[in-house]
Amino acid sequence: MATKETGPSPAQGVGPLYRPDGEKPTATVSKEVSYDNVHVLPQTPQLIALLTMIRDKRTSRADFIFYSNRIIRLLVEEGLNHLPVVEQSITTPVGRSYLGVKFEGKICGVSIMRAGEAMEQGLRDCCRSVRIGKILIQRDEETCMPKLFYDKLPTDIANRWVLLLDPMFATGGSATLAVETLIERGVPEERILFLNLIASPSGVAEFAERFPKLRVVTSFIDQGLDEKKYIIPGLGDFGDRYYSM
Amino acid sequence: MESISTFYSSSTEVRYAPPWQDLSIIGIAGSSGSGKSSVAMEIVKSLDLPWVVILVMDSFYKTLTSEQHHKAHANEYDFDCPESIDFDVLVETLRDLKKGKKADIPIYSFTEHQRQPDTTTLYSPRVIILEGILALHDPRIVEMLDVKIFVEADMDVCLGRRILRDVRERGRDIEGIIKQWFEFVKPSYTHFVEPQRAISDIIIPRGIENTTAIGMQSPEHAGFEHRNLIYLDMVVKHIQRKLQEKSDNHTEALRNLGLIAAEVELPSNVHVLPSTPQFIGMNTILQTPETEQEDYIFYFDRLVSILIEKALDMTSYVAANVETPQGNTYLGLHPRGIVSAVAILRGGSCMETALKRSIPDCITGRVLIQTNESNDEPELHYLKLPPKIEEHATVILMDSQMSSGGAALMAVRVLIDHGVEQGRIVFVTCAAGERGLKRLTAVYPRINVIVGRIEEEGEPRWIEKRYFGC
Repeated sequence: MATKETGPSPAQGVGPLYRPDGEKPTATVSKEVSYDNVHVLPQTPQLIALLTMIRDKRTSRADFIFYSNRIIRLLVEEGLNHLPVVEQSITTPVGRSYLGVKFEGKICGVSIMRAGEAMEQGLRDCCRSVRIGKILIQRDEETCMPKLFYDKLPTDIANRWVLLLDPMFATGGSATLAVETLIERGVPEERILFLNLIASPSGVAEFAERFPKLRVVTSFIDQGLDEKKYIIPGLGDFGDRYYSM
Repeated sequence: MESISTFYSSSTEVRYAPPWQDLSIIGIAGSSGSGKSSVAMEIVKSLDLPWVVILVMDSFYKTLTSEQHHKAHANEYDFDCPESIDFDVLVETLRDLKKGKKADIPIYSFTEHQRQPDTTTLYSPRVIILEGILALHDPRIVEMLDVKIFVEADMDVCLGRRILRDVRERGRDIEGIIKQWFEFVKPSYTHFVEPQRAISDIIIPRGIENTTAIGMQSPEHAGFEHRNLIYLDMVVKHIQRKLQEKSDNHTEALRNLGLIAAEVELPSNVHVLPSTPQFIGMNTILQTPETEQEDYIFYFDRLVSILIEKALDMTSYVAANVETPQGNTYLGLHPRGIVSAVAILRGGSCMETALKRSIPDCITGRVLIQTNESNDEPELHYLKLPPKIEEHATVILMDSQMSSGGAALMAVRVLIDHGVEQGRIVFVTCAAGERGLKRLTAVYPRINVIVGRIEEEGEPRWIEKRYFGC
């Protein structure tokens, strides 16, 4: 059941620009949000098809892992584009000059255990030797609030750009706590990129306002949350589907 | 099948004719056992080109009815008269090949006297040697021939050869062979074979006895066989001249296509990847000569993965309702049909690692096109396409780099000739020159092209060397 904040998701014909609208199949696409620091991947038919695979409850675990990794790579590629570069002029193997760029700044990944760890492979596919820190956040039995149980982060994290990894962005409780932990360790807010596969509109909105300089990169903003604070339509428990189901 | 294809083939379309269009055909007729195949083999050897094919007319024997079948086994069926050959199919086959299309050659079983369900595919030869006792019989075929050869031999020698061949290769008994000879072969020679002599360009008086006629001429026959040698040399020179002409025309046509293309804008079906910082950064690493081999491969695979994901946006999808584990429904998309790939060798094979990241079990074909260094003409050397490629929803054609577009033009043509619709082809390349892109899309306006980076004109191929390290 949807709570009140959830309006219907937009459905539209998806396909390349050159194709006439009548030839584009209709699919539900991401909701739009108007925050400058929230970046939703282009809603290409290819991305929608990948999301369709991982949402489908009949998808086997092997396929779930494969297709989510493909989306994660797209997220990482988009995320990395927010890192600084400096101009660099080079001479190519055939003796031509090319005005290119050089990557600037050190990066690291931080995964929120355990679902966030599922995104590490996708990160490594794009950044081979990246350092990866971990944060364990669990719900406190007494207060029902998220609580930091464990963290292991690179010692020089304050000098790095951080790619924070958590696939499902529902209420944003864990993510908020994780960001607060990072800021405490000296990471400036503007150097944090939060990568997730599916986000809820309310989670994104609260987060964007609380951390206006932090950037969120997501592949899809879903319809909303149900009364158990699960994203709908969502894809179930990401960690379970990736690790054990 | 789309019906719009006729609409597109209006006069404004820029055409590309591959070098194997309007191929040369040499016809060799002569009595059974006269040594036609030796002559054919000798021509093949002298031409010394990879695109010469011998087409034996025996493949075009008609399938026998059960009654004829019994006759054949009793050696009472006439295999030497024109009615036994399916000339209509042969004419159709030769016409298709002349147009540059692919042709399916029937396989005939001499032991079962019928066509086998399988066929051999013949595609893109530049010279065909049609060999058969009645190769010059049908006027529709004669009209297509570039050179008409008649091989004449002593009938006793012919009979001797025929006995040897039919016993060894076709599982017949001597009695039957002799019966057939006097009942059918000899009369047919007088009626149908011998008259072909009159319309032939060259008469080779007694075939070629193995290599002796060509190489080691015995003194008493020297004059005789020397003449044969000159005849064959004339044939070979004539064909070589024709091939050279076609090759010049092909190169010239490619140049002209470039001129036409220079005037137009890069069309909307050419998708150049956006210049994001990461993409430019990767391109910078890849173009830096000092980059380590290991890093080169890593960044190349990463960059191509992005190109492949982009190419997959061009394939077909259908709406699909799925249920999530919590029982919610989501209206999404499913890919429709098979996506396969064809690598233009060698450059395209650099891209397979990245391709398999997105489609691990992608059906993949290969086509080897090499540019002849003496005249810059692309040449098709090898072709292995997946079966039923014409049914695939999308065929991703890959080449690491494209300069003039000659190889790409040829590869797309190969796919189209194998029944792949233009609109289903997505050509993916890491770097391409603008002129080549325009040339390619001027000829094939409905293909999609994914380009990593626009490079300067006339860039030599270096990416594949860098990737493979040699």
